[in-house]
Amino acid sequence: MKRRTLLHAAGAAAAAVMLPAARGQSYPAKPIRMIIPFPPGGATDILGRVLAQKLGDQLGQSVVVENRPGAGGAIGSEMTAKAPPDGYTIQMATVSTHSIGPALNPKTPYNVKRDFAPVIHLADSTNVLIVSPSLPVNNLKELIAYAKAHPGKLNFSSSGNGTIVHMTGEMFKMETGTFIVHIPYKGTALAIPDLIAGQISLMFDNLASALPHVKSGKVKTLAVTQLKRSTLLPEVPSMDEAGLKGFESNTYFGVFAPAGTPAPIVQRLNAEINKALQTADFRERLAANGAEPVGGTPEQFARVIERETAKYAAVIKRAGIKPE
Amino acid sequence: MDAFNTLMANLSLGFATAFTLQNLVYCFVGCLLGTLIGVLPGIGPIATIAMLLPATYALPPIAALIMLAGIYYGAQYGGSTTAILVNLPGESSSVVTMLDGYQMARKGRAGAALSVAALGSFIAGCFGTLILAAFAAPLAELAFKFGPAEYFSLMVLGLIGAVVLASGSLIKAIGMIILGLLLGLVGTDVNTGTARFSFGIPELSDGIGFISVAMGVFGFAEIITNVDMKDKRETFTNKVEGLILSWKDFKEAAPAILRGTGIGSLLGILPGGGALLAAFASYTIEKKLGKNPQPPFGQGNIRGVAGPESANNAGAQTSFIPLLTLGIPPNAVMALMVGAMTIHNIQPGPQVMTSNPALFWGMIASMWIGNLMLVILNLPLIGMWVQLLKVPYRILYPAILMFCCIGVFSVNNNSFDVLITVLFGVLGIVFLKLGCEAAPLLLGFILGPMMEENLRRAMLLSRGDPTVFLTRPLSLVMLLMALAMIVIISLPAISKKREETFVEE
Repeated sequence: MKRRTLLHAAGAAAAAVMLPAARGQSYPAKPIRMIIPFPPGGATDILGRVLAQKLGDQLGQSVVVENRPGAGGAIGSEMTAKAPPDGYTIQMATVSTHSIGPALNPKTPYNVKRDFAPVIHLADSTNVLIVSPSLPVNNLKELIAYAKAHPGKLNFSSSGNGTIVHMTGEMFKMETGTFIVHIPYKGTALAIPDLIAGQISLMFDNLASALPHVKSGKVKTLAVTQLKRSTLLPEVPSMDEAGLKGFESNTYFGVFAPAGTPAPIVQRLNAEINKALQTADFRERLAANGAEPVGGTPEQFARVIERETAKYAAVIKRAGIKPE
Repeated sequence: MDAFNTLMANLSLGFATAFTLQNLVYCFVGCLLGTLIGVLPGIGPIATIAMLLPATYALPPIAALIMLAGIYYGAQYGGSTTAILVNLPGESSSVVTMLDGYQMARKGRAGAALSVAALGSFIAGCFGTLILAAFAAPLAELAFKFGPAEYFSLMVLGLIGAVVLASGSLIKAIGMIILGLLLGLVGTDVNTGTARFSFGIPELSDGIGFISVAMGVFGFAEIITNVDMKDKRETFTNKVEGLILSWKDFKEAAPAILRGTGIGSLLGILPGGGALLAAFASYTIEKKLGKNPQPPFGQGNIRGVAGPESANNAGAQTSFIPLLTLGIPPNAVMALMVGAMTIHNIQPGPQVMTSNPALFWGMIASMWIGNLMLVILNLPLIGMWVQLLKVPYRILYPAILMFCCIGVFSVNNNSFDVLITVLFGVLGIVFLKLGCEAAPLLLGFILGPMMEENLRRAMLLSRGDPTVFLTRPLSLVMLLMALAMIVIISLPAISKKREETFVEE
């Protein structure tokens, strides 16, 4: 570990000394590699590819997408962490790779604070609380009352252990003092039929994947987990207004560079991505994936990461979730 | 009438999806590539799909699945071509085609054999598609009543079915399934998030890639053992002519095609069944029907080609039913399709039909189109495929292996996967030498984790009460069926008969 820190320090120093050109207008002088730590086709990949194209047009250099999936995003993230900090490797990341994952697994092969330079908080995608049509509740308060009256009788499903869907459910249990049994699935596609059939009582599904079922009315939709209502589902209240003050659980999507990437380069990327975020077609793509644009400075993003990591670390500790 | 209207509406949606220029091109490319690889001796549909799977990653999901269906039919047809012309089965179900097909070729009637195989496949394909379209919707409705307990029992039934219906040694089939189940355990446990058997290798925490297993035990192993076969075979690659069937041939073949289609459609739906069983059953029936066939079976009777070829294609078609409606693969080829769909972020199961009807019906329509393409495009191209058989293996096979490696690498951009594939290639050779079929292994490998997941989920939902499998009626029925299968197979009279069926010729 120590050796890597040294290496990074050396790398940063080298970058500062040897790359005066990198400070100036000559960046980018060659194509930029964008690592996506998930397989093609998912939300991170789709957003990453749209961003890569926009960024490439704006910078006048192509941004080449490289999918490096595996180990819940840890393989690709580790690659970024170890890449030379010259601004030619950047990464798409999410709350799972940079907040939940490291908090959950002490063996995560990178340290977010030490190994990464946050570039921008790209977007947020919220979760939505859906319940089985057979459950006799119609709003959040009734659900909480029902769960309290039937401890250990209800089930909530998730898209897997340690996913944001799982974390949100555990957070809900913590904040309401209820006991609901966690039933993990591999992805949410198979959990929905069981929820419709009544085997599963509730679930905090990702908005994009729940949307068709919400619209078809086959499930009861109680609330969204962001503080304000979602523009994609304006008729559904937020958890906050439905009775759980301050309850918030979103997936953040962000861009990272390896730690030690020269600040001017990070600033340049941040500015260009902020610009890309303003375009209508990018916003459309975000909406299609249930996400809302955020933007802002690298410092703001760093604070979000810190806040989210602390939040989920507390949930993991309280709920006693351990990988081994 | 209402049901008929829905069916028509669904089918027209399907054809509207499949009949875009782009999708037609992918369907065609799939058929072409499938035939190209499938025609190579010793390489069946499973190996072909495993090898070509990576080629479909970059495509949109609908196009990718359409292309895969094309590859499947192409490979199956390519397998029959090799069976008829070279007397080398590309897959187990063309063993049956070989019996009379090769004899026909020896008598100078290779063209007629190839035509009747294509025609039979096409007619069976049309019929199979209709059945699939008609039964998919009601079955998917039923599937929504399936909870974890029912899924678990269904998979038990499926795996036992696969053992019972497997060709060759029973013990070996069970052994291979269990090995597949064990390999499926590698990776992160869904319930606790603990990495199992990963030995601290991050790549293994996602489990062993099914592409690596499939391409290793089928692709690599079969190619390498093919090089090992030194015996010269009499081939009829220069004498393919007379593709037009005579009226007499047609009159003889037509009823066999219809019978084969019926048997195939029925058997294809069974778990563990599919093309192979259908082909065998059809051949047995053709042999029993009508005294004094001229020429006798085994010496180039056209019905011996027409029946089994139709049956295996119909079976291939209807075996999509359990996959598309329940998300459960009934055989190894469908297990591969599960993997392919998952890669494109589609979780096979009843929800596909409702959440993604264009994809679902588009794929069904493309199956029919794929069959049509085989007849109108591939038949005239037979000469070209035959040329391929003349390329020396020492050039052909290393080239294929190289493309396989590129394909495996491209899945995750990770060289670790290539190493794993090579490892499974070596294992596959060992299996082949020991006479162990790899298909049950792949089925166990895909079904194992699904089974475990559903077992533990059912137990979690019942708060640890195992009687849940017996108190839910659907689950109980399936477990009883599984039990009945075990009882039947272990009756001495039956097990003896079973050996005879598969030893035939």
